[in-house]
Amino acid sequence: MKRHTPFRIAAAAAGIAMLGSGVLAQEGDKEAVTVVKVTGENWFTRMEEGVKAYGQEHDGIATRQVGPARADAAQQAAIVQDLVAQGVDALAIVPMDPSSLEGILRRAMGRGITVITHEADNLENTQLDLEAFDNAEFGARFATRIAECMGEKGKWTSFVGSLGSLTHVQWADGGAKYMEQFPEMELVSPKNESFNDANRAYELAREILRTHPDIRGFQGGSAIDVIGIGRAVEEAGLEDKTCVYGLGLPRDTSEYLESGAVDGISFWDPKDAGYVMNVLVDMTLKGEEVESGMDLGVPGYEDVTVSDGPGEGKIVRGQAWVDVDASNWKDYPF
Amino acid sequence: MPRRADAQLMFLVALNALVLLSSLILVDRQFFSLFNFQSMGTQVPELGLLALGVMLAMVSGNGGIDLSGIALANLAGVIAFLLAPLIFSSEDAPAAFFLAFAGIALATGMLGGALNGALIGYAGMTPIIATLGTQLLFTGLAVGLTGGSALRLGYVQIIDDFGNMPIWGIPYSFALFLLIAAALAVLLKFTRFGNHLFLMGSNPKAARFAGLRVQSMLFRTYLLAGILASIAGIIIAARNSSIKWDYGSSYVLVAILIAVMAGVRPEGGYGRVICVVLSAMALQILSSLLNFMQISNFFRDCAWGLMLLLFLANARVDWNAYIPAALRGNARQGS
Repeated sequence: MKRHTPFRIAAAAAGIAMLGSGVLAQEGDKEAVTVVKVTGENWFTRMEEGVKAYGQEHDGIATRQVGPARADAAQQAAIVQDLVAQGVDALAIVPMDPSSLEGILRRAMGRGITVITHEADNLENTQLDLEAFDNAEFGARFATRIAECMGEKGKWTSFVGSLGSLTHVQWADGGAKYMEQFPEMELVSPKNESFNDANRAYELAREILRTHPDIRGFQGGSAIDVIGIGRAVEEAGLEDKTCVYGLGLPRDTSEYLESGAVDGISFWDPKDAGYVMNVLVDMTLKGEEVESGMDLGVPGYEDVTVSDGPGEGKIVRGQAWVDVDASNWKDYPF
Repeated sequence: MPRRADAQLMFLVALNALVLLSSLILVDRQFFSLFNFQSMGTQVPELGLLALGVMLAMVSGNGGIDLSGIALANLAGVIAFLLAPLIFSSEDAPAAFFLAFAGIALATGMLGGALNGALIGYAGMTPIIATLGTQLLFTGLAVGLTGGSALRLGYVQIIDDFGNMPIWGIPYSFALFLLIAAALAVLLKFTRFGNHLFLMGSNPKAARFAGLRVQSMLFRTYLLAGILASIAGIIIAARNSSIKWDYGSSYVLVAILIAVMAGVRPEGGYGRVICVVLSAMALQILSSLLNFMQISNFFRDCAWGLMLLLFLANARVDWNAYIPAALRGNARQGS
């Protein structure tokens, strides 16, 4: 068999030439790239709005967002590695798996690249890590709404994605701590593990409704817990008697918000997080320090708390949760 | 078929050159910096080693393939992470710790490879089913042992250097990869095992009647693939200072793509180590180039899949049949 190498080379060259449409940043602008866990998910599409908005509203900085097509730590690491080799000015990263980026980020900082992270308060090699809120406070926020809805008395329970998900456990604990002030609130079988599976959450909620027919409060952990709980509540016809609150995404949960099976959800707006990450990038590039009490110019980040992180870097926390119920979920299209 | 082999090699060399040349036009000079080449060099070995394992499995014929590579690599890292600190402390004796880590990982790779080999060689299972099963088994074990979370190796200077730093301008891990590839090439070309492997791959029936010990050959082939996977596991652990069960979940497809692009015949009996090395490099350079050009990563997945199909088709189609006789020249000689 004889091969016609030149043909194939020509074809490949044509193919590659057609792709040569990379968008180039304006000369002189600092290049700040936000790397997310995965592209194409609603959450990160929403985040991209914030990332782009910052670049458009400010001179001297070009912002863009990239991410792997699949949620794979290896693919994300490869992207970061290439960006470091490319010599961008700053990286804002939402790590898939913080520990797997330690080595690359150490080298990035060694090459003078500014590194900002989000949702990675256990990462050592970062200059600033942005957290939307304190996790215990976020849990207490759910508990506040549940207690209010239940009239501060009755049985309630909490869900977590898994006991290994640190943030979920912190929310559940934060909620339970808040409830201690109400003697008539009774926490039953806390921290049910849904394993981030709506079906599992549904089955668990059904079991709980059977064992405790008089249960009134549910606190969801992972973003799909409220969906599972809502389905079980709807089946039992208890929409008006129960109080279901938890982390959730507006569009995914809308059906249950409308029916009243889920009373309210809270989350942080990824658009704001993407915007504020780039605020921090810009400040760090200009050599400005972030201090407690600062106003970063976005609702929820008007009075940030700065504390020491596990490494050299600092952790910046806002109070950026958004409460949503049947009346306003349409304002958040993700 | 020496002519075909040469053409493939030439093609891959040309592909590498072409991608590099197009980078001159498409992106800024930063692409040609030493740092970028070192950065790409550190990214090649883990996939390259897995692709070599896939190549061995494919060459052995009988629908040979190894889907369990990355799962075994991660498992080797997990087990080494759990056992090595029991022997040496990473703080007091980092070198000894790293050796113990590598040793345990290699032993795990051998065991895993032996399991594959036993299932395929001695139990006569179909490779794609057997390695799919062991892939799930290895992944399951790694999840079970770690509870699903990442294990942090922490910053151990010697391990981090091995994973990321260059020696005489070449990253350690890339140099190791080249050494292993060279050793494998020698093994395949000059030893009886190598010769028999190609014979067996091209015609298993004839091989059996010629008195080759087919079962033992298959066993050793998959054992070797397992060892290669565990070396990939060591490099992954060193490069990221951490180990996680689901690291590189996209590598299964890419390793197969590299092997097919290198002209390894999925039906068995043909494959060259140098082509696999070149094909792994071409894919890495292309991948980095796409990142430099800010092209969506969805396009990359799509391009990889398309390339896999193209190369497979290309291996099967005789292009001569579509070229007019007048242009063909020596077409009569075409096979």
